[in-house]
Amino acid sequence: MPASYDAIVIGGGHNGLVCAAYLARAGKRVVVLERRDEVGGAAVSEEVFPGFTFSTYSYVVSLLRPEIIRDLDLPRHGLHILPLESTLTPLANGDYLAQWSDHDQNHRELARHSARDAEALEEFGRLMHQMARAVKPLLGMVPPDPASLAPRDLLGLMRVARHVRGLGPGAFHALCKLMTMSAADYLDEWFETDALKATKSASGIIGTLLGPRSPGTAYVLLHHYMGEIDGVFRAWGFAKGGNGSVSAAIAGAARALGAEIRTGAPVARVLVGNGRATGVALESGEEIAAQCVVSGVDPRRTFIELVGAEHLPSEFVEAIRRFKFRGSSGKVNLALGALPDFTCLPGAGPHLRGAISISPSVDYLERAYDEAKYGECSRRPYLDIVIPSMIDPAMAPPGRHVMSIFVQYAPYAVNGGWTEARRAAFGDAVIDTLAEYAPNIRSAILHRQVITPADIERTLGLSEGNIFQGELTLQQMFFLRPAPAWAKYQTPIHALWQCGAGTHPGGGVMGASGRNAALTMLGSAR
Amino acid sequence: MSEPVVIIGSGVNELVCAHRLARAGRRVLVIAAREPRDGSLLEPGWIPPAIVRDFSLDRHGLTIHRPDPWATVALPGGGALELSSDMERSVTAIRRLSPRDAERWPAFCERMARLARLLEAVYAAAPPDPLGRAPRDVLQLAAIALRARRLGRQGVEDLLRLLPISAADLLDDWFETDALKGALGAAGILHLARGPRSGGTAFNLLHHHVGSPPGVFRPPRSNVRHVLAGLPGIELRRGAEVARIGVRDGRATSVVLASGEEIAAAHVASGADPLRTLTVLADPKWLDPDLARALRHVRSRGVVARVSLMLERPAGPRALVVAPSLDDLEHAYDDAKYGRVSQHPYLEAVSAADGAAGSGRVDVHVQCAPYALAQGAWDDGRRLELGNLTVKMLSRHFPDFEAAVVTRVLSPRELEVEYGWPEGQACHAELALDQALWMRPVPALARYRTPIRGLYLCGAGMHPGAGVAGAAGAHAAQEILRDGDRT
Repeated sequence: MPASYDAIVIGGGHNGLVCAAYLARAGKRVVVLERRDEVGGAAVSEEVFPGFTFSTYSYVVSLLRPEIIRDLDLPRHGLHILPLESTLTPLANGDYLAQWSDHDQNHRELARHSARDAEALEEFGRLMHQMARAVKPLLGMVPPDPASLAPRDLLGLMRVARHVRGLGPGAFHALCKLMTMSAADYLDEWFETDALKATKSASGIIGTLLGPRSPGTAYVLLHHYMGEIDGVFRAWGFAKGGNGSVSAAIAGAARALGAEIRTGAPVARVLVGNGRATGVALESGEEIAAQCVVSGVDPRRTFIELVGAEHLPSEFVEAIRRFKFRGSSGKVNLALGALPDFTCLPGAGPHLRGAISISPSVDYLERAYDEAKYGECSRRPYLDIVIPSMIDPAMAPPGRHVMSIFVQYAPYAVNGGWTEARRAAFGDAVIDTLAEYAPNIRSAILHRQVITPADIERTLGLSEGNIFQGELTLQQMFFLRPAPAWAKYQTPIHALWQCGAGTHPGGGVMGASGRNAALTMLGSAR
Repeated sequence: MSEPVVIIGSGVNELVCAHRLARAGRRVLVIAAREPRDGSLLEPGWIPPAIVRDFSLDRHGLTIHRPDPWATVALPGGGALELSSDMERSVTAIRRLSPRDAERWPAFCERMARLARLLEAVYAAAPPDPLGRAPRDVLQLAAIALRARRLGRQGVEDLLRLLPISAADLLDDWFETDALKGALGAAGILHLARGPRSGGTAFNLLHHHVGSPPGVFRPPRSNVRHVLAGLPGIELRRGAEVARIGVRDGRATSVVLASGEEIAAAHVASGADPLRTLTVLADPKWLDPDLARALRHVRSRGVVARVSLMLERPAGPRALVVAPSLDDLEHAYDDAKYGRVSQHPYLEAVSAADGAAGSGRVDVHVQCAPYALAQGAWDDGRRLELGNLTVKMLSRHFPDFEAAVVTRVLSPRELEVEYGWPEGQACHAELALDQALWMRPVPALARYRTPIRGLYLCGAGMHPGAGVAGAAGAHAAQEILRDGDRT
């Protein structure tokens, strides 16, 4: 069978598409094989109910690497980001805490709760900016192998060491703390306003089966500042037309560069001969040959299902098997006949154009976690709510709205498994929680879609429904992602590469894994 | 030299610091504020060989107690799992519960022991300074890096993975038996306000393994404090309470006792916790605001109560563990997290060996019993309740406890008063990753020096911390000698 392609990319998620686009840009003949009928993976826009379009799974954009936007000229392919300018946290006592993108307004609002915190926020922001700047170069780096004695790895390690030592004592120790502490402990050192700490620490628990008091959750606080320093757009935003337009723009760029994209083409396995990947076999039975294969699907699917343990060294298989997924979040998408009316801030004010975070206190989040760690859904979960139709009216019919609710915790390994009744109960808990703050919500709902981690796994192929293709915890980051010695996008199979979020630097619609993988492949191809 | 080095406190760290300085020719005065009321209590912790050797401790009557089996783990359905220092015996015992776990036990022990040897080397000196540019720092870092790499690929990978993870994640990777995971996971949360699912608890497990043979995951106990206190060469002032440290022109010059007596000092080394030393004993005005803030945020949350029991008949040296599963430990932590005393705490009952030979006394470690209660306070009623709960839980598994008499209950409140442990926390600063190595207790103080010249820290709050008897004191003495009279 002659190889008609230089590379086959398995999975048309945003990382697969980014990887394909970069390979095509370098003149390679590339084909992307996507199982579903549309590309995008978890970054899709779907008309779930007639007239109502949702970013069904991932729903905001912040981390997409600016160099990718630039290199692939994504705005020309339709990428348009609309800023998300505020976060409202309703409180149990009927008050609220709002965070605004306008500096003075934000300062005044926080000072209403604590003058001390308002002052501290300035210094905190400065430090986090500095830290984000310090960590940023590591994101674009191919992680060296700490156990290798190869000159290249030693040099890489020395580069990391030099970079870290160059930070100076203040930033270095702050970084050590961020890497080792819990979000709650870290924020306790800065702030006294419970709702502020809770809302900030919520970013540290997303996608992970950890609570705000679990060490290892502080690091993710940085990610919120990572988007800002790029200066391309503000911290968080919507893609006009939903997150599917991010994927569509990357796919458009890839096609324009000459990549072929086939949807409805599920890959059944990777063809391996003599320890080398030679192509793939589709579920239809069709076989496609290529010089190399790049997998954008998660490590467990790639190695255990598509490749097969029999082709891999046993210690590698063991490492992939213990790679933790533990999906912990779900989604509830609502088609609304009317806007929610929050008791703490009635009416359709500017706060509805931003995010609404149900995270009234650190204990609230911790209790939500307590239930999840024993296999139950949170009775009162953390909710991150956005109403995209407020900013992008085309998402819903005139006068109506779409509401996207990210929910945590909904453990994949729920006691008794995910049943219809479980899913309904989970959806009800979300609505009950929201109704405590916006009582009109029940009567405003026209349709509701409830997505559990089991649904995410089934529909998108993400193992255990983990939205990051594997928990983003310290033991699964940098040179440990997905497995030690195999964090450089290579695999034990010659000519088989990985480019998904299960590799460094991980998930969050960042695209960096896809880009790093492509650049590594091109580098070694040279 | 006329003025002595004054050491505040008479714990193992303080005494090692004192003797090291005395050996180097300094005049040393140790202010032993309080003697624990029950002197028979043995000191838990590994004594680094260098300390045993330097002071010929074995010739002076050092006795180390290692109950073997080191854990007799109560099984929920009756009976017990005995974990011994003898690998074969442990394997046989585990096999009755799970052949798979029995097969994995030796490899697990061997891999953990290799990491522990590395940690022992790191603990044998002041903490490395990753930012240090002095030849001494760079050499130390290079030596550690080299040692780490000598672990081989698997060792390096084990190390990188183990440091941040939770004890539960580590143990779930290896074993399936709840009782085994419970007994090991308990070492992961020992003295820590954390559950076994919290990151960093695998490191705590490794920390408490340091110095023990492969397959033994509890530190030994010894009479080292008693032996050190009896060694000649230092002056010991008993029953004197230090009220404050006198500071002139940014330099520690004296120690003032509660009686008002002022003792001039060449240097002062404090075994009290860092926060107390720098904000209560010394005038806090010497701290810059950043350091003051960092110190205030050192976490030292006591979660352990100690219950003393008397059995009718002495049962010989034993270490009984009640920690049925990781979930049970996690639930106990959930209670502590919200300020409640757990009704299903983790218990470890150790018979008093020699000192009180034949007395039938048993000391029980009870976790979690938090220092700060959400409701009510630690009063006699609470303590009595906890004592009774302890007897009830133990006698469910070990019939000879049915007639046990509760002789004493020390809540974290009493431990604070009696032992000077902040919030009853034996480690002074919890041994979490962000409070370990060069960050112990805070980066600015990690090298035992303080912003006040001539004032040093030598207690359990310093690297390498509680569980390694005397090491912090030895390293502090080293730094004092290094500074010489320059300060």
